[in-house]
Amino acid sequence: MIHTRFTRRDFLKTAGVMTAMAAAANFPVSIFADEKRLMKFPEKTDLILLTSRPPQLETPIHYFRELITPNEAVFVRWHLSNIPTSVDLRQWRLKVGGNTEKQVALSMDDLKKLEKVSVTAVVQCAGNSRSFFDPRVPGGQWGNGAMGNVTWAGARLKDVLAMAGVKAGSVDVSFKGLDGPLLPSVPDFVKSIHVDQAMDDDIIIAYEMNGTYLPMLNGFPARLVVPGWYATYWVKSLSDITVINKPFEGFWMKSAYRIPDNACGCIPPGSAQKSTIPINRMTTRSLIVDPAGGSEVAAGKPVGITGIAFSGGYGVRDVLVSTDGGNVWEESRLGPDKGRYSWRQFFFSWRPEKPGKYTLLSRVTDGIGGSQPLDSLWNPSGFMQNRIEKVEVTLK
Amino acid sequence: MKIYIAIITAIAVAAGVASAAVDEPQHSITLPTVHIELKAGPGKDKAETLCAICHSVDYITMQPNFPRAVWTAEMNKKIKVMGAPIKEEDAKIIIDYLATQYGTGK
Repeated sequence: MIHTRFTRRDFLKTAGVMTAMAAAANFPVSIFADEKRLMKFPEKTDLILLTSRPPQLETPIHYFRELITPNEAVFVRWHLSNIPTSVDLRQWRLKVGGNTEKQVALSMDDLKKLEKVSVTAVVQCAGNSRSFFDPRVPGGQWGNGAMGNVTWAGARLKDVLAMAGVKAGSVDVSFKGLDGPLLPSVPDFVKSIHVDQAMDDDIIIAYEMNGTYLPMLNGFPARLVVPGWYATYWVKSLSDITVINKPFEGFWMKSAYRIPDNACGCIPPGSAQKSTIPINRMTTRSLIVDPAGGSEVAAGKPVGITGIAFSGGYGVRDVLVSTDGGNVWEESRLGPDKGRYSWRQFFFSWRPEKPGKYTLLSRVTDGIGGSQPLDSLWNPSGFMQNRIEKVEVTLK
Repeated sequence: MKIYIAIITAIAVAAGVASAAVDEPQHSITLPTVHIELKAGPGKDKAETLCAICHSVDYITMQPNFPRAVWTAEMNKKIKVMGAPIKEEDAKIIIDYLATQYGTGK
């Protein structure tokens, strides 16, 4: 069952909305059983606290009723405890160098002089929904809220690289932010992409989220945005871009964020992975936002089943909805299209006839025919969860 | 009195605008401190002190109960891969603590 991570406070906050929607009456007591709690961090709204140092904060699901996730509600995830809490733009520079014609240090003004481009793209943690893995795996125990849909704006990575001049024979480009380890023995957080990918028009260094500056905890003053790929590559508070003439072998590429080297990125549950590759493009998934799992639905009137669906950059072709546990599937109506990296909302009007328990499912097909598995695919790091979610509701 | 209120309001509005401006050169936040109490038991002090060198102990409390083998693997990963400066004898105490207080009993 999903949506079981509301806290009492969260419930109280959303109760008015839920009542107004006439879709939910009583939540079962069991959904309050776990100890998730809401916490407000600077520039952020009340989010589900996973960890405080470094901060890992999850977005409550009700924010996914909207096409665009507000900045203050976007999830927060840092790896190392020494995170930036103060940035002076008079001092901040984005240093670009390595296997380049010259080394450059760009100010924010320099960055803003480059052509400004924007893209609406889902930002999603590789470990989003990890807590639904069976058997459970260690790591950040996210529900479904380690994602958001944001309109990012900034300069193209390739335009920034052109200012330094990438030399022939370059292989990878690495990215480092202002965060770092507290101890020198701990590997610094540095990620890389192949130099060919770095020339992709869609990859930007974003200094705006939804038309304004980035909250500090989401990577002020600028972060890498790699649309379609998991957020582990979207290095926050970017400070150093280094072009290298051999494959990058830093810890966070070579040892961490690895998935099984096969088509599904999965292995038999509970087994050990052998051959691995770096995680990359997001898998295709959908999520029913309303009605919430475990809720009671009033009989005798239409019930709006709504949710979101997205893929790793291939858009959304259709979203099918089943209200009988997966026997009969019907097409939903899709919301506004903000491009192939954005999520699409889906809407389905359900007219249940008899009282009882119902299992609601949604299944998206992306622009190249990719879809979702009925059962959870498994890997030992708890990455790329995209199973078809089952939402149990009771019609009274 | 009215003047005071007007001045205070003006200052408050100005400050609010300044902190919200995109072009404000200095941007700072203050992180809250959150206290997490681990379960009582032998090894709690070691876990609180040594694990918290690198991260808050809600990294422990958010996990489901794991078998001893998983906690052992996690502890070893922290030392050998993540560079945690924890001695072997302390690691054993912490593994025992985690497997007992946050374990499955297996």
